[in-house]
Amino acid sequence: MSGDPVLEVEDLRVRLRTPRGPAEVVNGLSYTVGAGETVAVVGESGSGKSVSVLALLGLLPARVATVTGRALLQGEDLLTMPPERLRQVRGPGAGMVFQDPMTSLNPVLTIGRQLVEGIRAHGDVSKSAARTRAAELLREVGLPDPEKALDRYPHELSGGMRQRVVIAIALSNSPSLLIADEATTALDVTVQAQIIDLVEKLQAEHGTGVIWITHDLGVVAGIADRVLVMYGGRCVEDGTVDDVLERPAHPYTRGLLGSLPDLAAPAGPDGEVPELTTVPGLPPPPTDLPPGCVFWPRCPVRADPRCETEQPPLAVVSRAAAGATASGALEEGSRLPHRAATWCTEGGQG
Amino acid sequence: MFALVHLVPGDPVRLALGTRFSQETYDALRERSGLDQPLLEQFVTWLGRAVTGDLGVSFRSGETVTSQIAERLPATLTLAFASILVALVIAVPLGTISALRPRSVVDRVATVISQFGISVPDFWMGIVLILVFAGTLGWLPSGGYVPLTEDPGGWLQRLLMPALVTGVVSGSVITRFVRSSVLEALGSDHVRTAQAKGLGSRQVFTWHVLRNALLPLVTVTGVQLAYLLSGVVVVEIVFSWPGLGQLALQAVEARDYPVLQGAILLFALVFLVINLVVDLLYSAIDPRIRR
Amino acid sequence: MTGAPVPEPGNSPDTPAGAPGTSPAATLRPARPQWRETLSLLLHNPTAAVAGVLLLLIVVVAVLDDTFAPEGANDISVADRLQSPSWSHPFGTDDLGRDILSRVILGASVSLRVGFLAVGFALVAGTLIGLLAGYYGKWVDDVLMRFMDMLFAFPAVLLAIAVLAVRGPGSGNTALAIGIVYTPIFARVTRASVLGVREEVYVRASRSVGASDWRLLTRHILPNAAPPIIVQTSISLAFAVLAEAALSFLGLGTQPPNPSWGLMLAEGRGYIELAWWLAFFPGMAIFLTVLCFNLLGDGLRDALDPRQRTLMAGSGKAASGSAAVGGAAVAGDAAVAGDAAGSGGDR
Repeated sequence: MSGDPVLEVEDLRVRLRTPRGPAEVVNGLSYTVGAGETVAVVGESGSGKSVSVLALLGLLPARVATVTGRALLQGEDLLTMPPERLRQVRGPGAGMVFQDPMTSLNPVLTIGRQLVEGIRAHGDVSKSAARTRAAELLREVGLPDPEKALDRYPHELSGGMRQRVVIAIALSNSPSLLIADEATTALDVTVQAQIIDLVEKLQAEHGTGVIWITHDLGVVAGIADRVLVMYGGRCVEDGTVDDVLERPAHPYTRGLLGSLPDLAAPAGPDGEVPELTTVPGLPPPPTDLPPGCVFWPRCPVRADPRCETEQPPLAVVSRAAAGATASGALEEGSRLPHRAATWCTEGGQG
Repeated sequence: MFALVHLVPGDPVRLALGTRFSQETYDALRERSGLDQPLLEQFVTWLGRAVTGDLGVSFRSGETVTSQIAERLPATLTLAFASILVALVIAVPLGTISALRPRSVVDRVATVISQFGISVPDFWMGIVLILVFAGTLGWLPSGGYVPLTEDPGGWLQRLLMPALVTGVVSGSVITRFVRSSVLEALGSDHVRTAQAKGLGSRQVFTWHVLRNALLPLVTVTGVQLAYLLSGVVVVEIVFSWPGLGQLALQAVEARDYPVLQGAILLFALVFLVINLVVDLLYSAIDPRIRR
Repeated sequence: MTGAPVPEPGNSPDTPAGAPGTSPAATLRPARPQWRETLSLLLHNPTAAVAGVLLLLIVVVAVLDDTFAPEGANDISVADRLQSPSWSHPFGTDDLGRDILSRVILGASVSLRVGFLAVGFALVAGTLIGLLAGYYGKWVDDVLMRFMDMLFAFPAVLLAIAVLAVRGPGSGNTALAIGIVYTPIFARVTRASVLGVREEVYVRASRSVGASDWRLLTRHILPNAAPPIIVQTSISLAFAVLAEAALSFLGLGTQPPNPSWGLMLAEGRGYIELAWWLAFFPGMAIFLTVLCFNLLGDGLRDALDPRQRTLMAGSGKAASGSAAVGGAAVAGDAAVAGDAAGSGGDR
């Protein structure tokens, strides 16, 4: 897990035109994904997770979406590249798996056709060669009887099998980055686990960088190297999976974790078991964000008067404040800083 | 449709004879057309004959209903298929373009055009066209029909205006359908998948938008064709087009009850056949319904 | 159906990400369309607003026809026959010297009366049938809807002609004929809405506490089925006016000397090359009225469609009037498909 990052996102902003006025859906998001690394993006529905990745690949309708910032995929800026270059990058550069396998395949074309057209869009491959490759891919993602499956239509497969097909399509051009947008949300728990195993296996084999978007913290704990917590279109906390899940600094992250009764709950510094907490209320509408901290209206802490009027910057969490224990060497902490956009921890909170 | 003619109050024989007739004539006609029999019996007799192609004899002309219908069929078929052609040629591009640029100038213009097409009385449009092209400009004959085999040029000249009128009306309905269908296809998830795998925009459009959007068009086209085939009565009158609609209207005016019943039977048949064809066609092109 | 303000817990900010979330409001009664909001949405749609105002004007003119018409509609003046439009006769005069403007205005009251009567009939009969079929289901549904399908399968104008052939021509019979033609559409739209809400939790809840069928129908089901019925009413009015004109044009509807737009067109047709205004102005009147009803119907559909209120209304996802995909359109059960098909068969 080293070397140049596959993806570097810098100050990504997405604004959508809506009948209710402009909606600031993503507000200055920055992160990197290294080769072979899995970054989980976590947040409630409407936090801007999906939009932020759709924006990377230019998959938002240009009529309603304005995207600014930089997004370097292996050094090339996705946001400024000409359409034809972007087309070439989709596939070999970055593959994408969507949420609902029931709708993300074209119902009137065969599985084989949908795989073959993806393969042939990126290289001068004969139809039969592409078909052979397609069958290989299906075998790789664990579809039984891949040769036969090529001639099937999506409705003849189960949800889990369809998602495997979608993954096969995403991987068909050996992308350096795989984006999974709630890829397991619509699936049964057992199928979920299979899909996650599959992606981890393929990632290990090909060294692919993965962005895994989810609102399921259980999945995050299982798959991610790093976590990015989004709220109101902003990153409110990021860091290694251990840092964020075990020593959450932002009140929102704490709320999220607190709302999971069984997951390793953040233990207080003195080892006391914290109360089960939830996050009451709903995220702010992106057309009408609060002037200060986006989380302020729902924040149970509100430790600092500035919170109401000023957005706290994303700052490295001091390990003392976050309740550092013996775990985690300081060197590692400096390489993968644990940051949070909050003032709550400064006052010796927690 | 048999039931309809009989259930609605009114005595077809009385209507057929007009106001002045003797009781004997009345009884004779009643007996001749079997109307003195019980209703169910009448129906069975009529149905039995209809199956063999015998729809009875016209009250007025004395010709068989079957031959009268056969005589009118070519004109109706010609106009219906020409109209659906005009409709599709207008609707598919117009609907697609406006779906691709929703709320743009093109879209708004297309919406206005289709709204006009749906709202304009077809017979009025026909009259205006006749005024302009047959009257003022004198380019086209104002109506009538000649078979293609006799005079291809004249056939086309006479077909042009009525086909345009009915085509514009049907086309407007189809345009709106195509627009919403393409819009829906554009917004579907699989289009995003297709884009994400790096297909060119043309390929995405042809195979993942248009192909999916045009599948339901088969149904709508079928419905429109059924309606066109069952005689666009008013337009046929305006352009003196000797089709089935005109025949049906003449039958009403002449109170020629067997002809009317025969024509209505044919329309029902046309409707059934077209529905069947649409279903078959659909299962051939949509894998989800196959088998 | 005056909607008391209903809290809308489910109306949280719509999210473009669209991850499914269970709304706490799911078990509550869904927020009814709020009429005030609907009206304001409608008024913010310039096309629909203009159409509505224009229609109101047409209706007022039609109701007060005697006040507005410059002359009696049947005042014959042979000296003034076939005069082209001028200041004294803005729309010209016909072959008997009758003032066309006056006849168009009187024709409005005839055409609209037939239109409203017909749609009123279809509305009452169709809604009733749809409610019964949708609510009781089983054989009631089968029998009623098969019968409706049979009527619907018929080309509208021909069905009307058949009815008139048996009943004889005239305004009243025309209204009845058109009313019968449009009954199945209302039955279908109503039934679809009823099926949609019948199994909703709040309806089942009301039933479990012993609410009567009638109460359920009138208090819960009908108000929720109202929006599509309202839209259908406007659109049907358009086609009813058109159908009345067509039938009168064929000589089966309104009988002379009463002025009906369709009849005037038929009378003017013979003079088309000599005096274009005879057929032009009545045609224009039909066209405008029908157009206004259609535009109003479209506006109502948009204003009453909850999808129009979503954030991404501009994008493809919220396309108004989604197409019925697959076999649904064949069965014609989807309201939209039925509507699209209906507007074709209507002509």
